[in-house]
Amino acid sequence: MSDSEHEYSENENDAIYDDEETALEMAALESSAMIERPAKEFINHKAALSALLEEISQKSLKWIHRCDIVSTQPIVVEKADNDLDRELKFYQQGLEAAILGKQEVLNAGVPFERPNDYFAEMVKSDSHMARIRQKLLDQQKGIQNAEEAKKQRELRKYGKKIQHEKLKEREDQKKVALDKIATIKKRLRSGDLGDADDFDIGVDSDGDDKKSRFNRGAKVKNGRPQPNKKRQNKNEKFGYGGKKRGMKNNTSDSAADMSSFSVKRNKSSTFSAPSKKGKAQRPGKAKRQRAH
Amino acid sequence: MATLYKTAQSEYMDVDELIDEKERQSNIKHRVLMVASRGSTYRHRHMLNDLEMLLPHAKKEAKIEAKKDMDLLNEMAEIQGCNNVFYFETRKHTDLYLWISRAPSGPSVKFQVQNLHTMDELKMTGNCLKGSRPILSFDANFETEPHLQLLKEILTQTFGVPKGARKSKPFFDHVFTFSIVDGRIWFRNYQIAEKDSETGGDLGRNDKPTLIEIGPRFVLNTIRIFEGSFGGPTLYENPNFVSPNVIRANLRKSRAVKHVDRINSAKAKEVRTAENPLPTDPLNDVFN
Repeated sequence: MSDSEHEYSENENDAIYDDEETALEMAALESSAMIERPAKEFINHKAALSALLEEISQKSLKWIHRCDIVSTQPIVVEKADNDLDRELKFYQQGLEAAILGKQEVLNAGVPFERPNDYFAEMVKSDSHMARIRQKLLDQQKGIQNAEEAKKQRELRKYGKKIQHEKLKEREDQKKVALDKIATIKKRLRSGDLGDADDFDIGVDSDGDDKKSRFNRGAKVKNGRPQPNKKRQNKNEKFGYGGKKRGMKNNTSDSAADMSSFSVKRNKSSTFSAPSKKGKAQRPGKAKRQRAH
Repeated sequence: MATLYKTAQSEYMDVDELIDEKERQSNIKHRVLMVASRGSTYRHRHMLNDLEMLLPHAKKEAKIEAKKDMDLLNEMAEIQGCNNVFYFETRKHTDLYLWISRAPSGPSVKFQVQNLHTMDELKMTGNCLKGSRPILSFDANFETEPHLQLLKEILTQTFGVPKGARKSKPFFDHVFTFSIVDGRIWFRNYQIAEKDSETGGDLGRNDKPTLIEIGPRFVLNTIRIFEGSFGGPTLYENPNFVSPNVIRANLRKSRAVKHVDRINSAKAKEVRTAENPLPTDPLNDVFN
């Protein structure tokens, strides 16, 4: 009677079991799976540890034989990976111990500091310390060099910028000036003298006209200012365009050309004093005084 | 045994004459035997040499076979007249374990040594007298648990140089710091610089000394504390210690899991494509 009631229970797994015993077995198995197994116990016999500590500790010994200092603050580091924080805490612990230790040592009547003339073997050899010093020096030098290089780079960039700006300024100024001159010339040619006040200069060529300065003598051709002769020759020789192929080769004319030969110059020696030419020889002092 | 005791005592006779008789008797002499196992790397050897230079009451021994000769360590200590032993065991040419033990019957500790930096590293610029006595600085955390208190006592008796040890120098110029961070013991060795670092003159009265690191530096991860020397019942087991073998095995397993997952997913894909074929497209034959 109870079995048939259990057959149609809500849990569909139980419907399989027609026997009450197997149902109980299954229930037991399932519940055992839910029991928490105790975590593995790690041995820590506190009483035995304390007893052993009592046995081996050297209480009768004075402090100077042990030299141990316990820090006043426990060290708490949140993350062991944080090197800076951790090393700082170690440093502080050591510093505190050094100060307290020195007090205790001096209280016990034992010398603490090493006198300046006490020389003994050190744990690291002198050559090792020299290598350490060299490495530190190299590091410092490296830093200095890097800084200098950075400064130079910055300066160069800055200098380049300034140069660029200056060039642009000059070009602009030149353009403006040329434009103004061109307009004035146009007005000159067209005969309109009304707006000569732009420049505050007279139309006639005075001594210090800006215009006249530009249009001085040989330096004008086709109304455009020309560079000097030397510059013109160089432009012809090295400038753009034109035939330059055989310019440095001799032709029959140039080979036969005797104009640049001067007998007198060829005959004179380079080490003799150059003679005074063109100026009449000045009479000596006596003659001058007599003439006067 | 009596002769051994007499010879051990006579070594300390040539010290300060002002030592009281009573004090001399109560002055417990510690000597440390330092032994390494075969198969140590250059770093471990250098560390051993560094510690030997820093601890003038230590005596270095020849290398021993790791598993066979560990039982002989107690006897070796007795022969040499040492009451503490440092045993550096290297496993698999990579892991370094340090045993610190009190020779005849005392407790012993096994540590794993990590983050080892020797004195040769050029970043550590300090220097100290060879054999000068250190000031030991312990973190306040050492007083909290009984196993930490025991460790503090053991470290004091081994790393602390006894007064009047044969090769020790009289002045104090360095400090050993032991701190507890992340459940491990961190060791640092600093030089106490009393002079002004820039001018080389003496510091003023109110100026603090500066500390410069000498090295070596290492981290000790406690594994177990035993009641006897190199054996005996375990008194303390560190719950956070994971053996380096287990770490390496887990790493390899995680990579293996990736491979196995890829194979399984390929198989599953085959099954899926077999079970769900693409539906036929009614427009397939339009251009045929």
